[in-house]
Amino acid sequence: MYFHQNIHFSIARLLYFPLIIILFSFLFSCSKTEQVYLYEVNEVEVTQAGVNKNTLKSDLEFISLAYSDLFGTTLTENQLLVLVTGYNAVGDKGLIADVIIRNFLNNPGADVPSAQQMRADVPAFIQATYRRFYVREPGEYELWFFENLIANDPDITPEIIYYAFLTSDEYRYF
Amino acid sequence: MKRRTFLKQTAALAASSVAAPFILPGGRLFARTGSRRVGHVVFCLFAGGIRNIEAIQQAEGNLMPASFEGTSSAMPGLDPIPASPWFQKLAKEGTLFPELRYREGPTGHFNGHTVAVTGRYTDTGLNLRQNPQFPTVFEYYLKHNSPAQTAKNAWWVSNSLGPYPALNYSQDPGYGAKYGANHIAPTVLLNPSLYPAISNPKQFQFHEEERLNHVRNFLDQSFGKQAVNQGFGISNTDSETKLIQDFIQSLMEKGNSGAYNNPLGVSGIHANNDIYTMLFAEEIIREFKPELLTVNMTDVDICHQNFTEYCNNLRKADYAVAHLWHTIQNTPGMADDTLLVIVPEHGRNKEPNTVQDIYGRFALDHTGDATSREIFAMILGPSGLVKKNQVVGTPSNPKGESIDIVPTIAYALGFDVDIPNGRLPGRVLMEAFE
Repeated sequence: MYFHQNIHFSIARLLYFPLIIILFSFLFSCSKTEQVYLYEVNEVEVTQAGVNKNTLKSDLEFISLAYSDLFGTTLTENQLLVLVTGYNAVGDKGLIADVIIRNFLNNPGADVPSAQQMRADVPAFIQATYRRFYVREPGEYELWFFENLIANDPDITPEIIYYAFLTSDEYRYF
Repeated sequence: MKRRTFLKQTAALAASSVAAPFILPGGRLFARTGSRRVGHVVFCLFAGGIRNIEAIQQAEGNLMPASFEGTSSAMPGLDPIPASPWFQKLAKEGTLFPELRYREGPTGHFNGHTVAVTGRYTDTGLNLRQNPQFPTVFEYYLKHNSPAQTAKNAWWVSNSLGPYPALNYSQDPGYGAKYGANHIAPTVLLNPSLYPAISNPKQFQFHEEERLNHVRNFLDQSFGKQAVNQGFGISNTDSETKLIQDFIQSLMEKGNSGAYNNPLGVSGIHANNDIYTMLFAEEIIREFKPELLTVNMTDVDICHQNFTEYCNNLRKADYAVAHLWHTIQNTPGMADDTLLVIVPEHGRNKEPNTVQDIYGRFALDHTGDATSREIFAMILGPSGLVKKNQVVGTPSNPKGESIDIVPTIAYALGFDVDIPNGRLPGRVLMEAFE
C-alpha cells in the first residue's frame, strides 16, 4: 500500500515538472537584469576629540597662552609675573583662572568678533575658533553642534563661546 | 491589614532603621560616632620661629602683653602698639601649654607647618614643591566630618606663597585635592599691583551662564579627560565658586578704596604682613563662618638678621591674635562656639648667629638645637568646654607635642573617632578640656 502511493506521487511530479520549467522561463525571459544597490557610509575612523593632547599646561603656560590667543600678542614678563602670582594665591585654580579669563574678555583689546561677524559665516567662525584655542580642526559632529546652536539661539555670543573654550578641559592640555 | 500584622511590620521597620548600617557621603558605614564639642575651630600658626625665652620666659620683658601677664618690655627700638582689643589676657580664656615640644625632624618653617597641619613629623627629605605625604587636618575634616561639608567650610590662609599653598591637601591617595581646603594668600592676591589685572571680570548674566555651561559641557564631554584633580588644586561647587569670587571682588574693592590702609587703627605704625593676613582671615570668618580655618603668621622670622624687629613683630603677632579672638567673639554663629588653637611651628636656637642689629643685638637662626624645639600652645574656647586660666606643663615636665594639634582639633569637631587607626601618632590634649 505504501509503495503504491509513492509510485503514484512520483508520476504526478513528472507531469508537473515541465510546466514549472515553462512558467519560470516565461517569467525570467521578460525581466531586465536588476542592478543591486548597496547603501552605506564611507568608513570613518572615530576617535575622541583632542585625544593626542596629554600634557597639562603649566600655570604659566595656561595664562600666557590664553592671553596670546585672545589678544594676538604675548604678555610682557612683568604682566605675566603679576598674573601668575595672583593665580598661585588661590587654591581653587578653576576659580582664579575663571577670574583671569573674564578680565581678559572684558579688556577692550581682546580680539573677539561681534555676533554679526560670527553669524555672517558660521562654519568659518567655528573653524577659526577651534584652530585658535584647540589648534585643531573641528570634527563633523562639533561643526554640526555649533552650527545648530548658533542657528537656533539668537542670544549665543562669540564671548560666551570663547569663554567656554578657554575654561574647558581641552584648553588645559597640549 | 490586621492590627497584629500592622504592629509587627511597624516594629520590624523601626528596628531595622536603627540597626541597619548606611553609607554616608564621607564613605563611612555608620553615622558619626564622635560628638561635636564645638562648632568651629580656628588654628593660628604663630609661626616664623618664636623662642620660649622671649615669649614665655619674657627675657626681654613681656613682648606678648595681649596674651600674658608680665612687666612690659622696656627694650629700645620697640614700636608703639595699640592696647589689646580683648578685655583680658588671652591666657585667661583657656589653657596654656608653655612647654610643648617639636620633638623630631628639621626645624625648618615648611617642616614645622607640615607637622602642624598633618600631625606627623617630617624627615629631611621633604620636597618643598610637593603637597605633604600625609593627609592634612583639612582632609580629615572634609572626609570624615558628618554631615559632609564643602571646601567653603575649610580654609587655609597663608601670609605668603613659596611652599605654603601646598598645605591645603596631601598626596595621600585616600584623601587629596578632593578633600582639600580653600587656600588663599590674601596679601598676595590683594596686592595693588594685581588690582588692574583681576578687578574687572566680564560678568555674565544668568541666561548667559546657562548657555556657556551648555557649551562647555559639550566641549568637555567631547574631550573626555578631566583637568580637575590633575594638578589644578581643589574645586568648589559652582554656586560656592561664585560666592568666593564675589567675596574676593569685594575685598579688592575695599582695598582699592583705602578701607585697609590703617588696619591697626593707629596712625604711624607699620602694619606688617601678619597684621594684614589676620585682617583678611577675619574677613573670611565674618563672611563664611568656616568650621575649620587655619591661618599663619611668619614675620618674626626677620630674627635671622634683626633681633629688635623680631621683638616688634612678636608684639604685632600677639596683638593680631587678640584681634582675631575679638572678631570671633563678635561674629554671630562663631561667638562662644569656637576653639582657637595658637601654636608656633618651632622655636629658635639658644645661641645667636653673628649678625647684629643697630641696637647691637645678635640675630637667631633655627637649626634644630634643643631650644629651637621648645614651643608653647594656647587653647582658648567656650566655658564648659575649655579649662580657663590653666597652665599645663613645666620645663622639667613638658606636656604636649606638635603632633598633638591635629588630633585635638579632630576631637573638638567630633571626627577624631572616624580617622582610621594608625593615621595620627599624636594624642588629644585632653588637659585643656573640661
